[in-house]
Amino acid sequence: MVLETEPIPFWPWLTGTAHEWWQVLLGLALLGLGLGLVVRAVRYGPLDAVRTVSRGVWAAIVDLARISPRRVLALAWLARREALHRWVLMAFVLFSLLLLFGAWFLDELSNDPSRLYLAFVLEMSRGLLLLLALLLSVASIPADLAQRTIYTVVTKPVRASELVLGRLLGFWMVGTAMLVMFGIVGYVVVMRGLTHAHEILPQHVSNLSESSGDAGLTGRTETTRRHHHTFTFDGQGRGRTEPTQGHWHAVQVEGSGSSAKYTVGSPQGWLQARVPIWGKLHFKDRSGANAEKGVSVGEEWAYRSYIEGGTLATAIWRFDGLRAAEFPQGLPLELTIRVFRTYKGDIVSAVQGGLRLRNPETGVTSAERTFPAHEFTTDSLLIPTKLFDADGQPLELFRDLVTPSGAVEIELQCITPSQYFGMAQPDLYVRASDRSFTLNFVKCYLGVWLQMLVLTAVGVLFSTFLNLPVALMATIGTLLGGYRLDYIRELAAGRMVGGGPIEQIVRLFTGMNMTTKFEEGTQRTVMTMADDALRWLFQRLTHVLPDFGALSDTSFVADGFDIPAVRMLEHSVATLAFVVPVFVASYLLFRTREVAR
Amino acid sequence: MSDVVIETRNLSKVYRDFWGRQKVRALKALDLEVRRGEIFGLLGPNGSGKTTTMKLLLGLLFPTSGEALVLGKPATDVTKNERIGYLPEESYLYRFLNAEETLDFYGRLFDMPAHRRRRRAAELIDLVGLSGAKRRQLREYSKGMTRRLGLAQTLINDPELVMLDEPTSGLDPIGTREMKDLILDLKAQGKTVLLSSHQLADVEDVCDRIAILHLGELKELGRVDSLLKVQDELAIRCTGLNEAARQEISDVIRRHNGTLLAMESPTMTLEELFLKIVAESEAHPGRRVVGSHGS
Ligand SMILES: Nc1ncnc2c1ncn2[C@@H]1O[C@H](COP(=O)(O)OP(=O)(O)O)[C@@H](O)[C@H]1O
Ligand SMILES: [Mg+2]
Repeated sequence: MVLETEPIPFWPWLTGTAHEWWQVLLGLALLGLGLGLVVRAVRYGPLDAVRTVSRGVWAAIVDLARISPRRVLALAWLARREALHRWVLMAFVLFSLLLLFGAWFLDELSNDPSRLYLAFVLEMSRGLLLLLALLLSVASIPADLAQRTIYTVVTKPVRASELVLGRLLGFWMVGTAMLVMFGIVGYVVVMRGLTHAHEILPQHVSNLSESSGDAGLTGRTETTRRHHHTFTFDGQGRGRTEPTQGHWHAVQVEGSGSSAKYTVGSPQGWLQARVPIWGKLHFKDRSGANAEKGVSVGEEWAYRSYIEGGTLATAIWRFDGLRAAEFPQGLPLELTIRVFRTYKGDIVSAVQGGLRLRNPETGVTSAERTFPAHEFTTDSLLIPTKLFDADGQPLELFRDLVTPSGAVEIELQCITPSQYFGMAQPDLYVRASDRSFTLNFVKCYLGVWLQMLVLTAVGVLFSTFLNLPVALMATIGTLLGGYRLDYIRELAAGRMVGGGPIEQIVRLFTGMNMTTKFEEGTQRTVMTMADDALRWLFQRLTHVLPDFGALSDTSFVADGFDIPAVRMLEHSVATLAFVVPVFVASYLLFRTREVAR
Repeated sequence: MSDVVIETRNLSKVYRDFWGRQKVRALKALDLEVRRGEIFGLLGPNGSGKTTTMKLLLGLLFPTSGEALVLGKPATDVTKNERIGYLPEESYLYRFLNAEETLDFYGRLFDMPAHRRRRRAAELIDLVGLSGAKRRQLREYSKGMTRRLGLAQTLINDPELVMLDEPTSGLDPIGTREMKDLILDLKAQGKTVLLSSHQLADVEDVCDRIAILHLGELKELGRVDSLLKVQDELAIRCTGLNEAARQEISDVIRRHNGTLLAMESPTMTLEELFLKIVAESEAHPGRRVVGSHGS
C-alpha cells in the first residue's frame, strides 16, 4: 500500500557502495587474470602464459584508450539499422504498445483505479521493454557470427572495444526510442483512461436548509464508469463530492430550483506526487510501558502491529527536522489505518481514534483530537499552528510542541474499546509538499531506462562468448535473479526455514516436514556441505547481480509519492558502476574469441 | 620499408571441437613469404587450407603454433588492417543496407571523413558497375552483384595489400576476365595481391608466384612461368599452311630425331570461344552467330 523504504542519503550510500564495488571488481579481475594464466600455462607452459597475459593486459589498455568515436558511432548506427530491420521485433513493439490500452479494460470497480492503471501501464511497459532489450542485445553478435558478416567488419581497423561499445550504444538508442514511445502511449492511456465527468440531474438534488442559495444543497451524481458520488455545497457556490474510487470532483451550480444547471469538474485527488516526511514508529503497550511492537492479530502482514482500543496502548511516530518556515499553515498529516474489529458492533459508525502531539523534550502535550477511522482510505488531517492543551491553555505548534531541532512526537490511540488499530511506520507521514505527477511519471520511465541499459549490457556480455540459446538463458537468468535478489540474499544468508536449497530438495523428495531435524550422519554432513558451497556461491552472486527489483520506481508513482531525487541519483550512479565493468568484461571476452570458428 | 609484406613461420592450425579434441589439421607448418608488388596465388583443391591461411593472416583465427607477420605486424594487431583489403570467399555483407550505405559504413570503420567516403564510394560503385543499383537493398542483389560490391568494399581504403579469397569463383567468363584485369591493374598501381583459387586456369596468367597447397601442406612454390613451362616440349601453332608444307615440317622434326606428338587445327579454349561470341554479339546485336565462327 505505501512505501517501506526511505532513501539513504547520497554520501553514506556512495562510500558504502564504492567500497563493495572495488572489492568485487578487484576480486573479479584477479579471478579473470588467474584463469587466463592457468589456461594458457596448461597448453603452452608458464613462460608463454605470463608473456601472453601481460601482453594482453597492455593491449586491453590500448584498446580501451584508443576508441575512435567515428567507428563506434558507425557500429552503433549499424546496430540500430539491424534492429529496425527485424520486422518481428518491430511488430512486437507495435503489439506491446496496443497492449498498454488494455488498462482501459481493467476492473473499474476497483477501490483505486488510478493505482491499478498506473501499476498496469508502468509494469507492462517495464516488462515488455526489458524483454525487447533482451532479444535485441542477445541476438545480435551471434547472428553476426553465424552469417559471417562480422568477417568483413573485424578485418577493418576495428578494435574489439569499439565493436562492443558500438553495439551497446546502438541498442541503447533503439531502447531509448522505444521507451519514449512506451512512455507517451502509457501517459495517454492513463490520462484518457482516468478522465471522466458526471452528470447531475435536478431530481437527484435536494435542499436541506430550505434557504435560498446553495448552502445545504446536496445530492448525488449520475453513474459514469460504474461509480457515482454524493456531493454537498458550502454556501459560497463551491460544491464538492465525497471521494469515491480514490478521487473527488468540484461541483458548480448555476440558477436554482428545477432550472439549476450543475457542472462537474475533472477528477481530483489522484495522479499525485506527494513528498512525504517519514517518522520513526514505536509503541506503548496497554499498560503504557514502552514496547518495540504492538500486538499481532495474526492475520495481517507481519510488519503491521496493532494497538487495543480503550487502553493506554499507543502508537508513537517521532518526526525530526520539521521547520516552521516550511509549514506556515500547520502540519499536513496523512494517515492510513487498518481497523480490526473484534466484534461486529455497529458497522456504520466508525471506530474512533485519538491523536495528540507531544514535545519530546518538554513533554508538553496537545489536547486529544478525535477522528473517525476510515478503513482503506488515506485521511488528511491538518494540525493547525494554534492548539490547546488538555486544560484548554493555548499552544503554539512550532514554539511549544516542536523542539528547536524540529522534533515532535505524534501519538495515536484507538478510543473505541475492544477494537484494534493496525499500523506500520509508513502509515502516517507529514505531507511536506506536492510535485508534478507528469514529472514523476517521467522519472519512473527514467528508472526503466536505467534497467534497460543494464539488461542490454548483460545481454551483450553473454552474447560475446556464448551461443544464442545459452546467452539467452544466461541473460534471462540474470534478469530473474536480479528481480528476486532479495530471495537470493535470503538463500545466501541461510535464513530460510527448512535449510539450504539441497536440504529443501531432500525434504521435498522424502516428504519430510520443513521443521523436522535431520539425523546426524554422513548424509547430513554431505548435504550441509553442499548447501554451504551453494550459499557461498549465492553470496558471490548477490554482489554481481544487478538489483532490478530495487531499480523499480513503479510503486512510488502508483501510490502517488514523488520519486526522491537522491534515489534517482543513486540508481544512476549504480547503473554506471555496473555497466562500465560489464562493458570491459564484454570487450575482454570478445577479444579472446576466434571470430572465424 | 621492408620488401616482405607477408611472412609466415611454421604456421599451423588445428581445428578443435568444443571439448578441445582435434578435428582437422587444416594447415601444417606453412613457411611463406610474399613480396611487395607481386601477385601471389595460393592454389589447391577444396579443403586444402587456403581460406584457413588467409584467416590466420587476418587474425580471424588464432594459430595453433607458429606465427604470421603482415605488413611487419602480428596478425592479431588490428592496426595492420588500415592498409589491407580483404574479399572473403563469399561476400558477407549486411543485406538490409544498400550499396551506398554499405560502402559508407565500411569507410567510417576506416575513420574516413565524410567527403572522402562519399567520393570513394562513388568511384568504387562506378568501378564495379553498380551505379544503376546503388540505392537498392542488398537482399535484392544477385550473387554476381553482391560479389562486385564485396570487391568495392575491399578497395574502400585504397589498400596496399589486397587479399582475395577465390576471387573468380561464381563469376561468368566476362566477370573472370574483368577480375583478372582488375588484379593486374592493382599490381600496376604497385599493390601487393594475395589470392587463392582452386582453378589453375583462372589465375595462371595473372600470378607472378604461386604456392600449391594440398591437405594443409605446401607442395610447390615458385614463379608461374617456370612452373608451367614444360622444358623439353615445343608447341607450334600457325595458319595458312597447305598439306605439303605440313609434310615438310613433319620431315624436319623426324630428321632431328624428334617425335611428332600432335599436329592438328588448334581448338580454342572454351573461354576464348565464349568471349568471342559475346564480342561479336555486342558488335552486331540481334544477329545469330551460331556457326559463323568456323575456321
Ligand atoms: N571452422 C572449421 N571447423 C573445422 N574444420 C574446418 C573449419 N574451417 C575449415 N575446416 C577444415 O579445414 C580444412 C581446410 O579448409 P579451408 O581452409 O577452408 O580450405 P580451402 O579454403 O582451401 O578450401 C578443410 O578440411 C575444412 O573442412
Ligand atoms: Mg576456401
